[in-house]
Amino acid sequence: MEPAPHILVVDDDREIRDLLSRFLEKQGMRVTAARDAREARKLWPLGRYHLVVLDLMMPGEPGLDFARWLRSQSEVPIVILTAMGEETDRIVGLELGADDYVAKPFNPRELLARIRAVLRRANGEGPSKEPPAKVIRFAGWTLEPARRRLLNPDGAEVSLTGGEYELLQVLVERPNRVLTRDMLMDILRGRQAGPFDRAIDVAVSRLRRKLEDDGRNPTLIKTVRGGGYVLAATVERG
Amino acid sequence: MAEARRRTWLPATLGGRTAFWLVVALMAVQAAGLTIHALDRVDLQRWIHAREIAGRAFSAWRAAVLSPPDRREQMLADLDLPDAIQAEISRTPLVRQGGPPPPPEMIRLFRLDALSSGPPRLRPREVRLGPNRPGGGFQASLRLPDGEWLNLRVQMPPPRPWHSATFLAAFLVMTGAAILLILWAVRRLMRPVRLLAAAADRLGRDVNAPPLDEAGPSEVATAARAFNQMAERIRRFVADRTQMLAAIGHDLRTPITRLRLRAEFMDDDEQRRKMLADLDEMEQMISATMAFARDDAAAEPASPIDIAALCRTVVDEAADARPELAEKITYEGPERLTARARPVALKRALANLVSNALTYGGAARLRLSTGEGGMVRLEIEDDGPGIAEAEIERVFQPFQRLEESRNRETGGTGLGLTIARNILRAHGGDVVLRNRPGGGLTAVASLPG
Ligand SMILES: Nc1ncnc2c1ncn2[C@@H]1O[C@H](COP(=O)(O)OP(=O)(O)OP(=O)(O)O)[C@@H](O)[C@H]1O
Ligand SMILES: [Mg+2]
Repeated sequence: MEPAPHILVVDDDREIRDLLSRFLEKQGMRVTAARDAREARKLWPLGRYHLVVLDLMMPGEPGLDFARWLRSQSEVPIVILTAMGEETDRIVGLELGADDYVAKPFNPRELLARIRAVLRRANGEGPSKEPPAKVIRFAGWTLEPARRRLLNPDGAEVSLTGGEYELLQVLVERPNRVLTRDMLMDILRGRQAGPFDRAIDVAVSRLRRKLEDDGRNPTLIKTVRGGGYVLAATVERG
Repeated sequence: MAEARRRTWLPATLGGRTAFWLVVALMAVQAAGLTIHALDRVDLQRWIHAREIAGRAFSAWRAAVLSPPDRREQMLADLDLPDAIQAEISRTPLVRQGGPPPPPEMIRLFRLDALSSGPPRLRPREVRLGPNRPGGGFQASLRLPDGEWLNLRVQMPPPRPWHSATFLAAFLVMTGAAILLILWAVRRLMRPVRLLAAAADRLGRDVNAPPLDEAGPSEVATAARAFNQMAERIRRFVADRTQMLAAIGHDLRTPITRLRLRAEFMDDDEQRRKMLADLDEMEQMISATMAFARDDAAAEPASPIDIAALCRTVVDEAADARPELAEKITYEGPERLTARARPVALKRALANLVSNALTYGGAARLRLSTGEGGMVRLEIEDDGPGIAEAEIERVFQPFQRLEESRNRETGGTGLGLTIARNILRAHGGDVVLRNRPGGGLTAVASLPG
């Protein structure tokens, strides 16, 4: 049994801090809360944190500056809370190396799901120890994680649903590796707010369509006999 | 814009009208000039003719006087007089004694009074003058020394004002040049008006459109300055309003987050579910209001996007959100269609239209095609009751919901269509609603390709 993960919550609203701490503790985590970036800097050396939940909209030192400082200190996973619609903050945050974001006002269960997914990745699931890639290229396609967008070989943006994006991300993180349906379900369940009850096969066939991969004779996302998928492409990260 | 334009035969544009009236005026002036010229020319012609005829008539008289009586006829014939003069030797005068005299202008024109002057040797014994009845001119009977008469019938040739072909051609060229000059000058004159209209149009689409150039002649500069000031005031007004709404939205974020967290500690599952649903609805309303107030579409940069993929995403997400209607949500169109657009905004616009089709029409069939001029055409069809023609534009106004939908408790802010239209118009396109003859509503969105 792993020890309870220790989370540092940085948010300027006392009520949210308290409620969120109680909520996460109820889910079996240890929580330390900080009022602002200054307090968080003081608390940082005093504990070993597995993850930081950081509100970007705080009085005093901007959340982004603190995130930058934090990254210079350690590899600790960061989940940022952004204002809805504030695209730029989110993009800068993710480019700085935040691992995920949730728009405020957030749904606590969605936040919990994101926290769990990020923790799981940090625990050696997947290649998340590498610095976050700005662009990921495969078979002429380009994935920009910070903007959560996919560009086709002509440079035009190809829109993806949330599920398609998550699936594609999982696939490009593990190219040329067979992923069974169960593995995919397992990885993806944590990422989705609601239950990921869409059959994986549906998600795959939708994604193939977007990638212009012929469903009957796929060359990019190949079906493996016995139930599984593999992304057959060289993936470049940069 | 329902009222019909007043019918008029005038050109539609101010420039056209100005040019039209200038050309009409030019024509009038030219016509007057031409008339003056023609009259003058006719006068001169008459004078020259009169001189010539008078001279010839005099030579006829000299020939008659100087030649012996039996040779007079011959001499007159040899003179080869022009058609306007008929001369004959006769025993009787042509002009009766005591008849009316020729019109005084004839006397003046032909210097008829000079007939009875000159050296006595050549002076006629008697002069009788009378008008030449048909055709004008005059008749003269001059008595020769031996008692015979020389009868002259003199006609005025008809006036020929358009005698010279080159003159007419030159005149036409001049008129044409003047018209061209008018058209050019009017175009130049109207340029500031056109620029102002274009700027007003741009401002209508985008309050942050660049200001007008305040250079140029003083009236133009004043108008441009006034326009820029007005634009600045509008901008400030919009900015204030936007900031206020953004502040409200921002301040509501914290209490909603708190309530969501609190709901997680509620024991009654049913109550918690309801509370979370209410909070979701509140958040939706706030985010719609903020999207409307901030006009996000204008802020997002445009980039090439695959519209077909975007349509698929919208359709799939709608089907995921309403699995019970998934069968009725379809996409029909090309596999790939690239156009420049603002992806987040455009997706929001389409999602709003699809959501309406599902909420009020129980189905959403999205069709993508390219129309004339490379326009991208998106149609969203439903099987609902449609909208009364009288309301079909009104529903685009902010916070407008039809009575039925208010009663049906479907929720909603009445901003969906407003936002969709704002977004498409910011792209240079538009969205309209059409009732289908067989029932159901079609939302037609267009987008420059
Ligand atoms: N497809 C449709 N069929 C019939 N009525 C419609 C349709 N789409 C819109 N309407 C009417 O137009 C009104 C305005 O629509 P709009 O999308 O702007 O707001 P809304 O759907 O009420 O709220 P929301 O802001 O959540 O979209 C609706 O309330 C509904 O009465
Ligand atoms: Mg709507």
